[in-house]
Amino acid sequence: MGLEQFKNRNVGTQEYRVLDLQESPKTPMAKFAQVAKRTFKGELFVGLGVTVREMFNALFRGQMHTVKYPLEKLPISPRYRAIHEMLRLLESGHYRCIGCGLCEKICISNCISMDTRYDENQRKEVSEYTINFGRCIFCGYCAEVCPELAIVHGPRYETASEQRASFSLFEDMLTPIDKLSLQQEYDGFGAVSPNADENIKKTPLAY
Amino acid sequence: MSEVKTVENMVNIKIDGVEYQAVEGEYILNAARANEVFIPAICYLTRCSPTLACRICLVEADGKQVYACNAKVKEGMEITVNTPNILEERRAIMEVYDVNHPLQCGVCDKSGECELQNYTLELNVDSQSYAIPDTKREVQNWSSVLHYDPGLCIVCERCTTVCKDMIGDAAITTTKRGGEDIDKAFKESMPKDAYAMWNKLQKSLIAPSNGTDQTNCSDCGECIAVCPVGALVSRDFVYQSNAWDLKRVPAVSAHSSDGFAIYYETKPRSIEDRREKIFRVTNEWNYVSLDGAARFAYDFENEDATKDEAAFNAAVEAFKKAGTIRFNSVITNEEALMLQTLKEKMGVKLYNPEVRAFQKFLNHYQAASGRSLWSTDTDTIMKRADFVISVGSALRNDSPGMKYAFNNVQKLNKGAGLYFHPIGDTLISSFGKSIECFNHKPGLEEAALYLILDLFADVQKLPEEVKAYIDSFKTSETKTIKEKVEKTVKEMVKNEETGEEEEVSKKVKETVEKEITVEKNGLVDLLGGDSENFADAFDKMMKKKESFSMMVGEDLYFHEKAENIAKLIALIEATTSIDVVMAPPKSNALGVALICDLDDEATGYTVGYNENGDFRLSALGNGDLDMPAMNQQEGTFTTMSKRVVPTNAALPYDGYELNDLMKVLVGAPELTIDWTPMLPTQKGYKAVAFDDLPYGYSNDGRENRGYLLDITSTEAALPTVEKFAESAALEGEIAYRCNPARQFNDFTDKSHEIFEAFGVYASTAKAEELGERVEIMFDKGSIVMDVIADEKMEGDIVKVSDFRAAAGIYDLFGGSRYKNVTIKKV
Amino acid sequence: METTTLIGQLPEVTAVGVAIKAILILAIISAVAGFGTYLERKVLAFMQRRLGPMHVGPYGLLQIAADGIKLFTKEDIVPQHANAVIFKVAPVITAATAFIALSAVPVFPDFRIPEFIPVLGGTFVPSIASDVNVGILFVLGMMAAGLYGPLLAGMAQANKWGIIGAARTAIQFLSYEVITGLSILAPIMLVGSLSLVDFNEAQSGGFTSWFVWQQPVAFILFLIAGFAETNRTPFDLLEHEAEVISGYATEYSGMRWGMFFIGEYANMITISILAAVVFLGGYNDFGFIAGWIMILLKVAFFFFLMLWVRAAWPHVRPDQLMWLCWKVLMPIAVINVVVTGIVIMV
Repeated sequence: MGLEQFKNRNVGTQEYRVLDLQESPKTPMAKFAQVAKRTFKGELFVGLGVTVREMFNALFRGQMHTVKYPLEKLPISPRYRAIHEMLRLLESGHYRCIGCGLCEKICISNCISMDTRYDENQRKEVSEYTINFGRCIFCGYCAEVCPELAIVHGPRYETASEQRASFSLFEDMLTPIDKLSLQQEYDGFGAVSPNADENIKKTPLAY
Repeated sequence: MSEVKTVENMVNIKIDGVEYQAVEGEYILNAARANEVFIPAICYLTRCSPTLACRICLVEADGKQVYACNAKVKEGMEITVNTPNILEERRAIMEVYDVNHPLQCGVCDKSGECELQNYTLELNVDSQSYAIPDTKREVQNWSSVLHYDPGLCIVCERCTTVCKDMIGDAAITTTKRGGEDIDKAFKESMPKDAYAMWNKLQKSLIAPSNGTDQTNCSDCGECIAVCPVGALVSRDFVYQSNAWDLKRVPAVSAHSSDGFAIYYETKPRSIEDRREKIFRVTNEWNYVSLDGAARFAYDFENEDATKDEAAFNAAVEAFKKAGTIRFNSVITNEEALMLQTLKEKMGVKLYNPEVRAFQKFLNHYQAASGRSLWSTDTDTIMKRADFVISVGSALRNDSPGMKYAFNNVQKLNKGAGLYFHPIGDTLISSFGKSIECFNHKPGLEEAALYLILDLFADVQKLPEEVKAYIDSFKTSETKTIKEKVEKTVKEMVKNEETGEEEEVSKKVKETVEKEITVEKNGLVDLLGGDSENFADAFDKMMKKKESFSMMVGEDLYFHEKAENIAKLIALIEATTSIDVVMAPPKSNALGVALICDLDDEATGYTVGYNENGDFRLSALGNGDLDMPAMNQQEGTFTTMSKRVVPTNAALPYDGYELNDLMKVLVGAPELTIDWTPMLPTQKGYKAVAFDDLPYGYSNDGRENRGYLLDITSTEAALPTVEKFAESAALEGEIAYRCNPARQFNDFTDKSHEIFEAFGVYASTAKAEELGERVEIMFDKGSIVMDVIADEKMEGDIVKVSDFRAAAGIYDLFGGSRYKNVTIKKV
Repeated sequence: METTTLIGQLPEVTAVGVAIKAILILAIISAVAGFGTYLERKVLAFMQRRLGPMHVGPYGLLQIAADGIKLFTKEDIVPQHANAVIFKVAPVITAATAFIALSAVPVFPDFRIPEFIPVLGGTFVPSIASDVNVGILFVLGMMAAGLYGPLLAGMAQANKWGIIGAARTAIQFLSYEVITGLSILAPIMLVGSLSLVDFNEAQSGGFTSWFVWQQPVAFILFLIAGFAETNRTPFDLLEHEAEVISGYATEYSGMRWGMFFIGEYANMITISILAAVVFLGGYNDFGFIAGWIMILLKVAFFFFLMLWVRAAWPHVRPDQLMWLCWKVLMPIAVINVVVTGIVIMV
């Protein structure tokens, strides 16, 4: 299963056909004739044929439709807004979040909260970050407003857990440092548009 | 505002075609602001002098381009705020400001309330045309509270201006940046003003003015408040919170008696700890300037207080058997009224030594002058006065509001000042050139008042005996002075060196001896001045002066002859054109003085409210029953400006309040603020409910907080004043009860951003002599304290802090602020 | 094969042997019925390109066990206004009649318990528990009596869906009883006996001697009627959830419901065996394939056919069901009997 089918949005261009619904027979004789016709036409066997064909397709041609869900997962659209992830910088491994608080400000359900502090390197450090998933409505504004593409909606849509807190802290959302190489660049909600460069005015530099 | 406006003459002006009225002589910018017309401006501060750093307030007045912040309105003036040329200039200026200004607004503390952000958007800066290589600028910490990030600084000079013109410390100034020169090509291509502004910007930065990397100032933090960008931030607040997350609670500073309007800004402490915390204090810096205590002493709340029923019952019992309630002035008007009610219904005594003296003084003053309260306030002084006199107040320590006014008059109103105080202060004389400081001996405050009478009184009005008494100090003596003259005639002169008489007939400069009559004023000499030079200096100071004000301080209330002093002040008011303002000793001393009927001594079982006692109610969290601190309760204060102002609770409080005790003891309304309309109207209070009290400033800078006390005024005959005894002057080793700046009470002491220590403060020389730690022996006891050098102090008198109630400093000093002591090294 | 021997030549059929056989039938058919549910789910799933039960045991094989545990441990609920006694008895009737019907059907070949087993050693276990000489009649009669299960269940539970289910039971079972009887009458006329063993004997002549060739119409009618009798799609109107929730079984849960289920599957097996014995040559050897394998294959085929049909065809409406029964099938069955009779006479 690829992403092609998600991209196929040609709704309305399929070839629909109108069924040729004939008039119902009126007289008993006509009705009997219809029954007889249908009986001997073998239409019933077409149904049987279809089912048995599909059984063969499924069993022997690898067209089994079932996805064994917890073990197998379908790819998800990048525009899907699942539970948040905090990304790291690929080069340094440092988290991208700069603690600007725009997500906190824009959050319409007021569920984001962060603690920042002045660290030893004279930088703003995010000492803790949390999203109250009991309140989050997954609107995606935080990802959209983030200037650093630090908070994104990842593909992790399984949000059942023993405790809500299981997802909500900074380290829960942050890409584990040992999985940095697996970190995917986000191309969903709030990501830089492909033509972003065209919309930027260049600032002169004196160097 | 540099002109005296005894009568406010209004002129008619037109801004963008709309007619407005403006005060004559006002700057266009202020006139526009007063009329709620927006003219962009970054560097101008309403109550300070224009710096012309930003040049954004450029407008067209009568066809000429002028800067709105330093061009005055004229009758019929027609002003255009925006012309294409001006808009181009402004945009270019904003572009220049944005050159090399870091764009990581996300991490900046100012983001969201940043004027650079606002004006960049307001002026539609969506592209950049200019560039220059940046200079490396390191972050600096200037003091225990000031954090300066020069990378963010736009050198608008608001900080230096406010420090000089308002605060008086002049602790910071512009310095060299060492930036590269601007490309010459820009001179032709860019608008003129923008280029000039850039030129200046590219050359300067801000730095401590004493040449070191540390400021030597009162740490008031006003520079932080006025900074339009994130360059100046409190060290404690750096990267702690975004401005928009903070909830602003309008309140009143609980420490000095100025009753500064502040906003407590709160939000939950952290993700884990959701208790509200005050993150910072802000102010409307165009209209009010704070002192360090108001800005930084905010975290004195009584944390985690709960309703301890046992303690409450014990408190009820304690009140029932109490003979005296001892309290101080860190208390709202409502609480003062409750205590007064207790006195009336239960017959307890109310003991408050710090206010009692002030209350007596006020009574004497009222008896002598017929007025219930003094005639002016610091705001009016700043607006009008051009001559200020301070008597009996260690201006730098006692009353920041007075200090600012004293300084502001010198800087903005081209004013002059007289400063009478036993302890020399180098800062005061640095406020301006026309300041005479009299460091007289303690006890001679009456002499100072007599001198003021002499200098300013209308002789016609003055009683004969006073006139005679003053004249008795004046001696007229013939004195030979030497004068250099250029003579063209031959003359027999006495040769200086030989003493022989010679005949000289040359056209030369000569020193001649001249006999003149010199008026000597014994009062000046008595006060430590130089009477010979003073007369001339005073004449100069008096030039073009029209409005006179006098600031009266705490020394006078605690003076042995306070009654006579009060009469003298009444006499000064009656016979001169001097307005008087008095500084209530602490916080809400005026409110307590007006509301409570205080007793002179404590007897029997004592309940202490934030004070020592047999049973202690305490908002500090260390007493027998918890009380809410000032940032946890609603109520009103009575300020030095004779205003009753509301303050609100910034932090939650779950314990018992005084009103709960009142309910049990004598019955009380539901809420503390239900007492507000019951404040005594015969003392000038009004029957206004707390929720109806306004809070804020109008655009023209008028204060609109609470209400002004009604002042009763009756005709009174001129008071009969006594002569003073020169022998009253204290000699020898003297201690002066005085707190360091920023420290006022236990609450400021509790605050983590106030670092001034409890100890004995002395001039550098004296401190060296005393060593590190001394025992100060009073007649009633002694105390051991650390010695702290204060380089702005002069003389041998030492200042003993009194802000810790538990130390019992008031008891040691008794009814006086000056005491003869023996100081011993420990 | 021993199973081909006539009843008279059999070794002594003892009461113990019959008892063992009865127990075997009960145990194995119950188990097969359970396994049938698994098979049904799997086959339906495959036909819809799904996997079906997968997680309990390898390929979901232990799903039956899980279901069994579930059924046995579920709370036993008797509705407040139900006739409790009849409510409790009804599922037993269904299960009992289904198994009783099986007593006259040859299931598995005869065998003798090996001698080395103590006590029961040497006991002969017959293929038919009770070889009555009116076998077919008995089986059909017993299956007809099974109608009381759903009927009483539906009426006893004080539920309108149950009542409707019960009414449908009555009309459907009674109507199609007629078709079953008439359709099977023709082969009976050919054989001249009601014993299933005789039917088997009559078709021992190989593939061509199967009655399906002589009586194709009867075969088809019997199949259709069999589907209706066993309450299978497309005739599962008794408990058609889209119309009557669960019909007669609406208020049943746990093992009581489970007994209806077992009864239904036992009936499916019975009908499959009947169809195999009456029309498809029974348990005769087929070339080199042993007869007992043949009967298993044939039963399996019919069982699979039932599932297959369920996957492919939609339900019929109740009125269509009746229309089909009385206006189409019954006339054809009657004509078939008459024609068969004429052919025999000629």
